[in-house]
Amino acid sequence: MAATVIARGNVSGLENKDFEKLAVPLLDGLYNFARWQCGDPDEARDLVQETFLKSLKGFSSFREGTNFKAWMFRILRNTFLTSRTGLERRNTQQEDEEGFEESSVSQETPEIALIRRADTELVQAAIAQLAPAFQEVILLADLEEMKYQEIAEALDIPIGTVMSRLARARKQVREHIVLTLGGKRTVGVK
Amino acid sequence: MTNCEWRKKIGLYVDGELDPRAEQAIAGHLQGCVDCSSAVLEQQALKKAVRVAGKRFTAPPDLYASVQRQMQPKNSPRLFVRPWLKWSALAASAFLLGVITFGLLSRPSASNATVAQLIDQHVIMLASANPVDVISSDKHTVKPWFQGKLPFTFNPPELVAGSPFTLVGGKLVYAQHAPGAELVYQVRQHKISVFIFQSRNVSGEPAAGNQTFVVNGWQEGGLQYYIVTDAAREDADRLRALMEDANRS
Repeated sequence: MAATVIARGNVSGLENKDFEKLAVPLLDGLYNFARWQCGDPDEARDLVQETFLKSLKGFSSFREGTNFKAWMFRILRNTFLTSRTGLERRNTQQEDEEGFEESSVSQETPEIALIRRADTELVQAAIAQLAPAFQEVILLADLEEMKYQEIAEALDIPIGTVMSRLARARKQVREHIVLTLGGKRTVGVK
Repeated sequence: MTNCEWRKKIGLYVDGELDPRAEQAIAGHLQGCVDCSSAVLEQQALKKAVRVAGKRFTAPPDLYASVQRQMQPKNSPRLFVRPWLKWSALAASAFLLGVITFGLLSRPSASNATVAQLIDQHVIMLASANPVDVISSDKHTVKPWFQGKLPFTFNPPELVAGSPFTLVGGKLVYAQHAPGAELVYQVRQHKISVFIFQSRNVSGEPAAGNQTFVVNGWQEGGLQYYIVTDAAREDADRLRALMEDANRS
């Protein structure tokens, strides 16, 4: 998906109607991301509204060459992290990351068929069990189709961290699916 | 277990993060490496699964309205209004109301606004990088996806081999504040949107005269169906016949 980058020279001429044109198509994605982050529909709704308010206010100082989508997601995430739920999450996030241990790859052959067979609910459960730091990266990469650089900008982390978190997130999602469906299959055989 | 040097780059390849030269090189390697090509397939399947499952929540329609309101400029000054001006304004309002009422009553079809909304929805789908929320050519995947999201059910037609139509997927839509389904079909290079709502919420025959899109509407079993497409009218009629057959009660 092509990223929306404000071209050089347009910045001074940007008006509220330009903001509306750029921002409104992102609303659904922002809301979905907010719901994944905070879990509560009302909180997600407030979060999106506050994001729009803040970004509209800051639009006049929007820097040229910045990716608009990454900028909006960054505002949403920062707003969330300073909220009560976000602060609670931030206190546990470090622990989540440190607690993750890279387990050795159990088998070489990929369980492609199992992944394809996985229904939406199972994959949602797999995404939901991810630590927030991994969950947000995989959602931005695979759902919002953002490039690594855009994700790094949105989350304010180095691009290398984006890559390692994404790899770990996918590995955990894959393992959740394979273990759940593979486990069921074993039980059935017995 | 393979020690293939390319293995670490597979994530980058699947995410389109490699430079063109490296991408070409890995594409060549995949022709001959079963392990790596399996890993690519797995990553692609995983990405697709996350993309479909990750789109779990839809913004409530009134959130759009709230956000739109937020973006309206709040600099309209308060005016002192003289009493005689109030009466004049009241009279003008009454006149305007009469004109609007007459306009509404004399319109050929009250469904024009709905059809306009659905055409907009179809155009948004055409322009979107994620045109559907559930991506599948299998009706047995698409139909269950709507379960729990809509207060009604419907049957996408069974497309036989050789049918010119391919199911692309579906998504949740709103018209007149009511939820509905949008099924997207492909016919040659054209996309066709089939919208389905409860007829008590959304109904009416589309007015003729839209030169750009073919719009076809009908009711069946308490549901209102609309087809919107830039494909030929014959294609819309054929898909309508298939939908009618599949949903005949």
